[in-house]
Amino acid sequence: MSVKWDALQHQSFLECNARQRAIGLVDPDTFSELAGPRDRLSSPHLPVLGEAIQFDDGVVTGVGLIGKKPVFLASQEGRFIGGAVGEVHGAKLVNIVRLAREAFEKMLSANPDLPEEKRPAVVISVDTGGVRLHEANAGLLAHAEIIDQFQDAKGKVPIITLVGGKVGCFGGMGFIAAAADVVIMSQSGRLGLTGPEVIEEEMGKEEFDSSDRALVYRTTGGKHRYIMGDCNFLVADSIAAMRNALREVLALPYAEIDAFRRIGSLDKVEYQLKLVDLCVKLSPKDSKDVWKYAGNENPGALVDMSLDTFLKKVKRLKVA
Amino acid sequence: MRRQLNELNFEFKVATPKDFPAEFLHYGVVGSGDMEIIMEKKPLGGAVRVKVLTPVSGYDEVWKRVLSRFVNDTHIGNASIEINDCNATPVVGSLRLRQALSEIA
Repeated sequence: MSVKWDALQHQSFLECNARQRAIGLVDPDTFSELAGPRDRLSSPHLPVLGEAIQFDDGVVTGVGLIGKKPVFLASQEGRFIGGAVGEVHGAKLVNIVRLAREAFEKMLSANPDLPEEKRPAVVISVDTGGVRLHEANAGLLAHAEIIDQFQDAKGKVPIITLVGGKVGCFGGMGFIAAAADVVIMSQSGRLGLTGPEVIEEEMGKEEFDSSDRALVYRTTGGKHRYIMGDCNFLVADSIAAMRNALREVLALPYAEIDAFRRIGSLDKVEYQLKLVDLCVKLSPKDSKDVWKYAGNENPGALVDMSLDTFLKKVKRLKVA
Repeated sequence: MRRQLNELNFEFKVATPKDFPAEFLHYGVVGSGDMEIIMEKKPLGGAVRVKVLTPVSGYDEVWKRVLSRFVNDTHIGNASIEINDCNATPVVGSLRLRQALSEIA
């Protein structure tokens, strides 16, 4: 077993860079990067704006194995322009989903009895603020194309998103994460549509103070998302913890993975509408109001609770 | 004035160069104040060729000194180095170059 891989397992998912996450999430020495730095597929738009470029345009894409399962993986680099999705970055995301589906179709036509354990899967480690504004049209188009690919992959390959980076998952990629079959978050992960800074800029500091970290975490953080049902699993902040949760999900048959979806069927849409209804009735002033409604008697105590205790004690929101 | 990403090109050669020990090496992330490096083995008659892409202008001489010192200290030769910089300071640049090399040492 590789020494580097072993060392990665104990590292913080948040602190690792995109490539370390990709390598550490799959089995040791199985990650092959596709369209990596050697191919120098960097942005054609940034140099004319005088902006720095990166050889992989801020996303690591490739294939690895988890057990016998080929895992098509994309891992965003939050440190490069906030992990923003530009033209090349977006194309790489689109194609990793497409490749997974095509691999599945090929494998199935070669072997109609393809066992579940060999069925390919897509894993996207998200760390982004959304569209890269320097190439916004291409970035937006890429988001639409990713959703198209998700749609084509439905019923064929499962798609799992992991949220635990420093930037979190905001903007258009928030939609994309939500459209996946399963969302796994770490305690330090943040998930939302409009990011905290943008809300403050639009609505003012009285509405949302983005420098108030406690507020940001209890409205977008992993614990809140877990209570709300926006993420399916909540894990500790390490590569190993993310990998273990991922392995457990991928070991399930496709139908069970599909059942984790939060949107994508009439029943699920109706459930979401009930949540909206509840939100209007409850008109919460703070996340804690919703936590309390969900059955957590002392919602304030959840904030500083260790992950293990939290997972044992927490009541997740359910509407009948 | 129109902003453009600056391309700097340098070539260095030490008296007794050691062949670059790996075919290909990539290191680093283009974060704010940081940079990434590709180092490749290339037959350049013992020389090291460096291409830097940076948003910063007016620091060509500083880059030259940082890179020249790196080549002189490590005695590498027959290598092509490409750097994508995002406002890294000379100290960070120097550190990253050495870290990259230590990946294969």
